Amino acid sequence: MLTEENLKKVDELRKRYPKSQAALLPVLWIAQEQEGWISEDMMRHIGTMLNLPFGHVLGVVTFYTMYNSAPKGKYHIEICTNVSCMLRGSDKILEAVEHRCGAKPGQTSADGKWSVSEVECMGACGGAPMLAIGEEYYENLTPDKTERLLESLK
Amino acid sequence: MERYILPEIPDYHKLEVYEQHGGYAALKKALGMKPEEVTDEVKKSNLRGRGGACFPTGLKWTFMPKQTTKPKYLCVNGDESEPGTFKDRQIFEFNPHLLIEGTAIACCAMGITTAYIYIRGEYGKWIKMLQKALDDAYVKGYVGENILGSGFSTNIYLHKGAGAYICGEESALMNSIEGQRGYPRVRPPFPAQNGVWGCPTTINNVETISNVPLIINRGWEWYSKIGSPKHPGPILVGVSGHVNKPGVYEVATGELLTDLIYRYAGGIPGDTKIKALIPGGSSTMILRGDALEGVRMDAESLKAAGSSVGTAGMIVMDENTDLIRVITRIAKFYYHESCGQCTPCREGTGWLWKILKRFETGDGQTSDIDLLMDIANNIEGNTICALGDAAAWPVQSMIRRFRDEFEKRVSKTPNGSPEPSDRNRHAEKTATVSL
Amino acid sequence: MAKITIDGNQFEADNKRTIIEAARENGITIPHFCWHPKLSVSGNCRMCLVEVEKLPKLVIACSTQVAEGMIVHTNNERVENAREAVMEFLLINHPLDCPICDEAGECKLQSYSYKYDQGYSRFQEDKVHKPKRVELGPRVIFDAERCILCSRCIRFCAEVAGVPQLQFVQRGDHTLIETFPGESLDNPYSMNVVDICPVGALTSRDFRFKSRVWEMSFTESICQGCARGCNIEIGARNNEILRLTPRQNDEVNSYWMCDHGRLDTFKFVNAETRIKAPMIRKDGALIEVGWDEAIAKVASELKSFKKAEIAAVGSAFATNEDNYVFQRFAREILGTKNVDFMRHVVEGDEDNILIRADKTPNSTGAKELGIAPGEGGMGFAEILHGIKEGKIKALYALEDDLAATPEVAEAIAKLEFFAVHASNENATTHSADVVLASSTYAEKNGTVTNFRHRVQRVRPAVTTLEQDRALDGFEMSRWDKFAAQNDTWGKGPRRDARASWKIVSSLATLMGAKFRYNSADEIFNEIAQKVEAFKGLSYLKIGKKGAQLKAKASVAA
Repeated sequence: MLTEENLKKVDELRKRYPKSQAALLPVLWIAQEQEGWISEDMMRHIGTMLNLPFGHVLGVVTFYTMYNSAPKGKYHIEICTNVSCMLRGSDKILEAVEHRCGAKPGQTSADGKWSVSEVECMGACGGAPMLAIGEEYYENLTPDKTERLLESLK
Repeated sequence: MERYILPEIPDYHKLEVYEQHGGYAALKKALGMKPEEVTDEVKKSNLRGRGGACFPTGLKWTFMPKQTTKPKYLCVNGDESEPGTFKDRQIFEFNPHLLIEGTAIACCAMGITTAYIYIRGEYGKWIKMLQKALDDAYVKGYVGENILGSGFSTNIYLHKGAGAYICGEESALMNSIEGQRGYPRVRPPFPAQNGVWGCPTTINNVETISNVPLIINRGWEWYSKIGSPKHPGPILVGVSGHVNKPGVYEVATGELLTDLIYRYAGGIPGDTKIKALIPGGSSTMILRGDALEGVRMDAESLKAAGSSVGTAGMIVMDENTDLIRVITRIAKFYYHESCGQCTPCREGTGWLWKILKRFETGDGQTSDIDLLMDIANNIEGNTICALGDAAAWPVQSMIRRFRDEFEKRVSKTPNGSPEPSDRNRHAEKTATVSL
Repeated sequence: MAKITIDGNQFEADNKRTIIEAARENGITIPHFCWHPKLSVSGNCRMCLVEVEKLPKLVIACSTQVAEGMIVHTNNERVENAREAVMEFLLINHPLDCPICDEAGECKLQSYSYKYDQGYSRFQEDKVHKPKRVELGPRVIFDAERCILCSRCIRFCAEVAGVPQLQFVQRGDHTLIETFPGESLDNPYSMNVVDICPVGALTSRDFRFKSRVWEMSFTESICQGCARGCNIEIGARNNEILRLTPRQNDEVNSYWMCDHGRLDTFKFVNAETRIKAPMIRKDGALIEVGWDEAIAKVASELKSFKKAEIAAVGSAFATNEDNYVFQRFAREILGTKNVDFMRHVVEGDEDNILIRADKTPNSTGAKELGIAPGEGGMGFAEILHGIKEGKIKALYALEDDLAATPEVAEAIAKLEFFAVHASNENATTHSADVVLASSTYAEKNGTVTNFRHRVQRVRPAVTTLEQDRALDGFEMSRWDKFAAQNDTWGKGPRRDARASWKIVSSLATLMGAKFRYNSADEIFNEIAQKVEAFKGLSYLKIGKKGAQLKAKASVAA
């Protein structure tokens, strides 16, 4: 469950909203940053904390695509395939990622190192094609650059 | 044109640099004005929203009740998720204080004591940048209690989204701030009466709010003379797709689309022709490449050309582009992002995509073209929010302006693919469903 | 008030009304799925789109308030086209499995399809597949493919039952209704979601696959589960009750009823334990006999005791008519003052919604009609005490399982004579000398009075041996009406049972009085003449929704 330090953050967060239920999204973020994903137990924990029905927490977690209901690999690679990226060759980037990681979109590699997702527009159309790993954006990619990037991740 | 939103000044994101160049002077000025004078200034400037609907910002502010016992809220929309749109990110990174200053001024004008800046979850890195700037602004007393000794207080908080395009829709955004699923709300009631937590709320786009300090600083007369008179001001135009120098360009409204493509974005790779252009993000109606002459980046001109400004996110497609693939990808996006609340959008977006997928693989039927049009027409205008329209417009315009592209992808076999793997798809066509 | 025009007709409507409400008040039904008069507006189905002149887009009637001069079109071409479009969208991913769906016959999606669907499908793609036969709770089964995501069930749980047990998960056309893992839709009102589900997505585990609804008859009655007296419909087929559903009455139960009332108050009518005919104990065993013999036996036995040695116990489960005739018999024929009835109050088992601690439907009525000790007479506790002390030697009781309570059973065992009206075998019949086979609430006409002093009608839904569906004015299903002699239905079990008032009247007549009642409404008319609170009432005035008793109208909940 949330660490002492994170619980303090939650207390701070609550003050930002007139109703503490509104802190749900940020608290889920804290939980995911701590655990990498949001388990059923975590949903109960947060529901109790914010006085929300557990089902409400589940409904929110499953609505937003960035909350993980299952653990992800060490690196979660998100490749944009929307129009601007598509026009500039995101297919090839996706291929390169699939090839290097041994996982297709929606999958995690057998060694647990890579999770691959095909995602919608990330707001980096000027740097298309692109992918994101965690909060870091990698733009203006080529298959070669992609290979080298993945190679550098240990 | 001189750049106001994204000036070419090194380290402008740093508070001291921003201050050196006159930063927060507009806030000081606004704090010395009556709130309605601030609103009036914005109203006269003719600033129109940069989030897609081009609604007059000052007028929107006047909808907020002056006498109310409830707290009032400002939500600044930085959800920026429309394909082709990547302008607000530049503000977070290169001019965060302009946004913070504009937010504080807006609060001052409307008597708001709490503002939330809603930013899409994917922008984690940029949220941290903006948070740093916000922390600095708090320390300097530009935000928080008793701002610059004026007696006026307002808090600004960042609220991080979590992967839902629909939360860029203002009422879904409010639900998301409340900790709910991002379902758009049925209107009326409108946010100015009944917004977050049932309180009067105004929602403005990040870029819109970033224009406010300029107006206060240099006056509405100056501002209203920039660019197109009916839709004035600087505007951030994103250019992506088949151009040599994709990126965000700050121009005055009314810039020729061709200038944006050729002068700013460096033209088309290989000097090929433009086949098609999406002028303002994926929901705006697609234009033919041979119909761009004289069309300008402003609400009136693009309306006349049969499209709209949207978020000014231009997607350029050269003559070798497979437009069926483009429209299929766009349809997939709206299908994926439909919240699922109301019937026409929930069911219609998926249907559009599934038919388009068949065209993509050369398995469309001539009758499917009209069916696509029909479905799009049946979604348009019948949904709770504008996502339905956003899903319908690209399909409608693509069929209207590029019908031949669809016809080329009609199956060569008269009744479609004969493989059994296609199940009874075609056999069912004439079967009646009796209930 | 605002003057509005709907489809060319002018109406006045309260400004706070929405178009759908104003239309409904004036007899115009605007098609809808998600809107429900007692739930918040969600506006998601889009079926109620109507045209309001001067507005560019169609608007949803469920959330648009009326305004002065508003001109609304609910049936023009534009509106019908939109409605057809919504229907088409709803059906593309729907399994179209009406032939095996419980909702068929009372399904909004199905009935609107007849009206607003083109009759063929333009959808040639793969449908979205979702979970089927999900046990949402102990009493409700969910088929996600049939679900149109109207959110009525979600809103019901949160807003009426007060427990948000359901919510949407996922999004887009993959949206589902779910309970949180480990939780279940188990609130005491859970089955109302089955009623308000406009399609066959939520079905009753109890009723599932029992019958097509068009083969059933539906009789308006009152739930017997507690003192609330929820208005219900009894659904029967083949002379057997298959389900109870709530019937709207804003004065009593709105559109709802509790699961206990729905499931646990009708099965005894069909049960194996039914008393099929009157019985007399001979050589220690109860033997079925004819009515004349049974009644003669009770008469002769009761005559053999002194007045003070007899007690008469009415019943909060019997109708007003039964209790009225019973107390007349006790006072006028038996001459006893020892008259009362047994209370069945479960302290704490109540809520602020519908459920009452008093688990009988008619304790108020029993009291009001004189099931109470006469001056110097014994109340129920004193009667028990009297039996134990040997002062009371004979007991005559109406429909109630008195002996289910051990203390009462102990007393009854000491009686010299005990006659009871009963519909089912139970602890009480096991210790009775004479069992008079009485009709259940579902086999007779009558009234019951709820805790707020509202008199409401029960009506017969299934027939006893002496009744005939057609001749006695029962509700008739299509099968009931059109079946031939050699058809198998309509042959469900019928018992030689009689309404208690009728049994008591026969007994009174045999004992020399003239209780000439031919029907329950005759008794009611007499009550209306003789009992102050009932003055001026009649079955006609009670009607479908009941009538508030005058004298006690102000008694609070």
